[in-house]
Amino acid sequence: MAKTVIAYVSRRLTVSLLILFAASFAVYVIFAFLPFDPAALTCGKNCNDPGIIEANRHRLGYDLPFFTQYFLFLKGLFFGRSFGEGAALINCPAPALGYSFQEHGCVTTLIGEALPVTFSLAIGAIVMWLALGIGLGILAARFRGRIVDRLSTIFVLIGTSLPTFLTGLLLVVFVVIRWRLIPFPSGNYTSFFENPFEWAQILLLPWLTLAFAYAALYTRFVRSSVIDTSNEDYIRTARAKGLSEGVILGKHTLRAALAPIATMAGLDFAGLLGGAILTESVFNLPGLGRLAISAVTKYDLPIIVATTLLAAFIVVIMNLIVDILYAYIDPRVRVS
Amino acid sequence: MARVKKSTSIAIVAVLAAAVIVGGLAKMSSSGSAKGGTITYLTHSEAFTHADPNRNYTGQHIAWFGSFMHRTLTAYARAEGSAGSAVVADLATDTGRSSNGNKTWEFTLRDGVTFEDGSAITCEDIKYGVSRTFATDVITDGPTYAIGMLDIPSAADGSSVYKGPYATKDNDTAAYDKAVTCSEDNKTITFNLKRAVGDFNYTTTYLSFGPVPKAKDTGDAYDMAPVSSGPYKIEKYKAKDEMILVRNDKWNKSSDPIRNAFPDRIVVRFGLAEEVRDQLVLSDSDKNSMSLDAILPTNLPTVFDDAGKPKDAFATRAINVYDPYVTYSAVNVKKLPCLDIRKAIYYARDYAGLMQISGGAAFGGDPADGVIKPLMGLDYAKVTGLEEFKPEGNAAAAKKYMDAAKSACPDVYAKATDPKRGVSFDFADTDTNKKAAAIWIDSMKKNAGITMKFNFIESGSYYAVVLDQTKQGDLSRAGWAPDWANASTVIPELFTETGGFPMSQNWNDPAYKAFKAKSDAALAEPDRTKQGKMWAELNQYAMDQMWVIPGVFSKTQEVWGSGLGGVYFWEPQGAPSFGDIYIK
Amino acid sequence: MTLLTVNNLTVEFPTPDGSVQAVRETSFQLSAGETLAIVGESGSGKTVTNLALMGLIPKRTANISGSAIFETQDGPVDLLSIDRDELRKYRGRDIAMIFQDPMSALHPFYTIGDQIIEAHQVHNKVNIKVSKVRTIELLEMVGIQGAATRLNSYPHQFSGGMRQRVMIAMALVNNPSLLIADEPTTALDVTVQAQIIKLLDDLSKEFKMAMILITHDMGVVAGAADRVNVMYAGRIVESAEVRDLYANPLMPYTQGLLASVPRMDRPHTNRLSTIPGQPPSMIALPDGCSFNPRCGRKSEVSGSRCEEQMPELTPRGNQHFARCFIGESS
Repeated sequence: MAKTVIAYVSRRLTVSLLILFAASFAVYVIFAFLPFDPAALTCGKNCNDPGIIEANRHRLGYDLPFFTQYFLFLKGLFFGRSFGEGAALINCPAPALGYSFQEHGCVTTLIGEALPVTFSLAIGAIVMWLALGIGLGILAARFRGRIVDRLSTIFVLIGTSLPTFLTGLLLVVFVVIRWRLIPFPSGNYTSFFENPFEWAQILLLPWLTLAFAYAALYTRFVRSSVIDTSNEDYIRTARAKGLSEGVILGKHTLRAALAPIATMAGLDFAGLLGGAILTESVFNLPGLGRLAISAVTKYDLPIIVATTLLAAFIVVIMNLIVDILYAYIDPRVRVS
Repeated sequence: MARVKKSTSIAIVAVLAAAVIVGGLAKMSSSGSAKGGTITYLTHSEAFTHADPNRNYTGQHIAWFGSFMHRTLTAYARAEGSAGSAVVADLATDTGRSSNGNKTWEFTLRDGVTFEDGSAITCEDIKYGVSRTFATDVITDGPTYAIGMLDIPSAADGSSVYKGPYATKDNDTAAYDKAVTCSEDNKTITFNLKRAVGDFNYTTTYLSFGPVPKAKDTGDAYDMAPVSSGPYKIEKYKAKDEMILVRNDKWNKSSDPIRNAFPDRIVVRFGLAEEVRDQLVLSDSDKNSMSLDAILPTNLPTVFDDAGKPKDAFATRAINVYDPYVTYSAVNVKKLPCLDIRKAIYYARDYAGLMQISGGAAFGGDPADGVIKPLMGLDYAKVTGLEEFKPEGNAAAAKKYMDAAKSACPDVYAKATDPKRGVSFDFADTDTNKKAAAIWIDSMKKNAGITMKFNFIESGSYYAVVLDQTKQGDLSRAGWAPDWANASTVIPELFTETGGFPMSQNWNDPAYKAFKAKSDAALAEPDRTKQGKMWAELNQYAMDQMWVIPGVFSKTQEVWGSGLGGVYFWEPQGAPSFGDIYIK
Repeated sequence: MTLLTVNNLTVEFPTPDGSVQAVRETSFQLSAGETLAIVGESGSGKTVTNLALMGLIPKRTANISGSAIFETQDGPVDLLSIDRDELRKYRGRDIAMIFQDPMSALHPFYTIGDQIIEAHQVHNKVNIKVSKVRTIELLEMVGIQGAATRLNSYPHQFSGGMRQRVMIAMALVNNPSLLIADEPTTALDVTVQAQIIKLLDDLSKEFKMAMILITHDMGVVAGAADRVNVMYAGRIVESAEVRDLYANPLMPYTQGLLASVPRMDRPHTNRLSTIPGQPPSMIALPDGCSFNPRCGRKSEVSGSRCEEQMPELTPRGNQHFARCFIGESS
């Protein structure tokens, strides 16, 4: 069995690498052929002097042929990249994704600062929503038609209807500002390694906001999946063998019912990692979502390119992970 | 004065309660009882647009940084009402001495003025600071009075022959050295102007006439870490997070008669969601806090009644007054060279609907007929030719001009009515603006058949983006207030290419040459009354050409925490009296 | 020795449209080592009877009455009245069941080895290795080559017939005294069918295991059963030893069933015979004999007795019982 899994994984890895390569090329092509001039955007307000624009164009390598630019871009990913020369030399270490004049920093550094925030947000949210969604879904299926099930239906309805920014706003305005149950955070984000308690405190409400919405979806899904699986023949066989209801539920029903969750959760997680824009805005978290949106309104090309590429990268990687995970769960998949 | 910041505020509070903070806090100066504590400012923007004194141009930022960090030769008096518009000495010993028919101005620095590292501020530092304005490729967005006024020749393309302190090629530094000179003892600075400027000491209230230490100048990066000459210095400044100002222990109160430095610490919280920001102040969650932005119109009814007066609960911590600003939509004449289309847009607009979402006329203000506000007095005359204006939009008039446009400028007409192209409009990214956009889109489509497309820009970077002539859209939301009580700080600033805020890019208009000549004549006119009439005429002309779509003679509202005292509307900057605010 | 005595088993499903009486007052007996075939159309109650015996009908969904005394290793118990937890003790150990579709009856995510070992471990507190040995033993017994390696295979890696063998191995792992086989060959190829039936037959003889063989296929019955119960509309309508049933079917339904089996020894131009009509709706059963609307021999009974009265299951000699007014001594 191990051999087939390894073969499967290596096949998928190769394909994923090819996809990433193609994605980077596609992104680069799109931005290279956009109608406005990237060199002009680096210049200030009274930039009527074509000399300055040309100087910047040369400094940033925008005057090179397209494929050379792409090659330099790829090279930068592995070896780092420098812009300009002499006193104005800017050096961005690998993986270099460009330099943003508006934010005064190497794009990789900026993303490096934003990614942990979004990651922290996503990971806490997914843990919460999986726990809540799966737990509640199983209970609702197990006690179908009874109080637990009816309450879960109400929960699902509210959770899927309320938009996240509204949930977030309500939580902040009431829990923090009016009722003072949680203090208004003193900073917008604290790293886990600096102060885990403060990290959790700042992220608690954002986690709840996201978890509430996703948990509702997952409750509904898990409930129907568990109910459907419970009617499968092999569950009847398990019962015929004399297994207890607990073992049947835990070992037989759940493994089959929750298998699709692996895919769902993986892809939802990938989507969140691209930046939970609304939640980050309401709670002022400096994550990838905020970075991407403000880059778009400010025409900050290098950041836009980098965040697009990063999102593609995350989706490809998560797809791979999810597929591998699913192959582990469902042996029928391994054959292909 | 400066362009409008969405968050100008006016407050009139005259209570001096005392709160003495005992123990633990060293370095309390004698002026007493209002000292101490931390005042927090809340904003939706991700950062200050600029902290660099040469690049600060909004009234609020000038007021803020001018109160806490950046001293200048002269400053406005810290007083309520029109008393605030008087000029007093700041770094200089007096308000300047002029000679040579107001073409030469001299200032002497006080003793004991230092930067935050303790080094003395000298004439060279001021001279260096002013020179940075000339480096227009790096030092962007600030007022360009230095370039317009100092006696330095221009090159063939109209730009100055002096390119600032960074450029090494083609840079006539000698010309600058002649225009700005320092005395032997490095304490007296002399400015030689190319024309007579009777109120140059008003110009020197701008932070761009303040000192910058050459050794610590980091060019573009100075914007995030400027050196302070005032009572506070930056401890932390991180975009999307916060700015923390702590006391500058090298600042001498004895050398600074105009600043109080009441709080021990000042914190600015960036990036707050608008509703969160409002709720924090309204619910008085932090009593010692204040918003830097305008309150959301949806929250106005919580604070004010229908007539615009503060409700009882907010009686001592809210105000609603006329600010110095006129808001308008700047028309990029280069991209919309068709007068008929511009007129059509003006008449098609649902002014009433837009006013509604700003909270109604009680809070919004009155419809503008130009860029000069009636309270300018001498410079204001009612603009004619706009009689067809109807608050809810005049579809018939709009149609009339659209029909004319079809034959007069078919290209622009085609673009404006093409659902795929349309007219682009720059707006700062706020909830209120999004609602406004919907009304614009709707009324344009309905009344003129014009497709309007909106470009929302992060509010902290709004002006940085739209002032870039390559990035500016067809229309851009803007606002302006006179730098002082003379339309010489309005008409030339907005409508000439050397102005500080020329968003109309109207120099492409064939009628521009004549306009510029008239504007120059008005600038030189010594008779104030005559000058006033000339400005009014030029305002009329600009409206005849619809170089801007006039908006509102605006009002502003402000709410602050119940723990703050000393809050009033500081007229010269159209901003709160930051320097006088203390914790009760 | 009598292994199982079912007395007056009734299974009723309350539905919004009315009460469905899937099994009505059914009684039968089974001796140790005996193979009983239960035959009938879909909806006759044959599967429900056995699900009820196994306790696989959720208590909430049905009303079950009657008794079913079964001789377990620990003594006689009434399968229908004991606590479900106690019933679990015997389920899989004393009584086992195999189902119709082996593909869906086996868990796709676990190896067959795991599944069979699990069946063993539930009822035997022994080391896993012991269960593993026993599993291999059984797999070999049911004819799976290379059992030791095939332990790690998944159900989807087997063919239909092999899977059914796996199911059988799993059912037999704890040496049950009764195996219930619900249509074990219906989902399989005809060629494989015979193999499986033969396997079941051999195993039951070897382990002296009683078997209830549920089927609608009269050919299967002939090959494996000792006795046959024919069910219709929830009741047993005929019961006899297999030879006797084939030689002398008494109830018209049984006659129809037998007649409808295609015969190799008849000219193939003969049309297949069928029983006209449809099985009755279990909610709206006709009065009288449930089969009467389709019965072609009603005329042999005087008056409209068939339509008014339900005939009893009466002995007709030679351990042969029939529920029909025809041939009944009044």
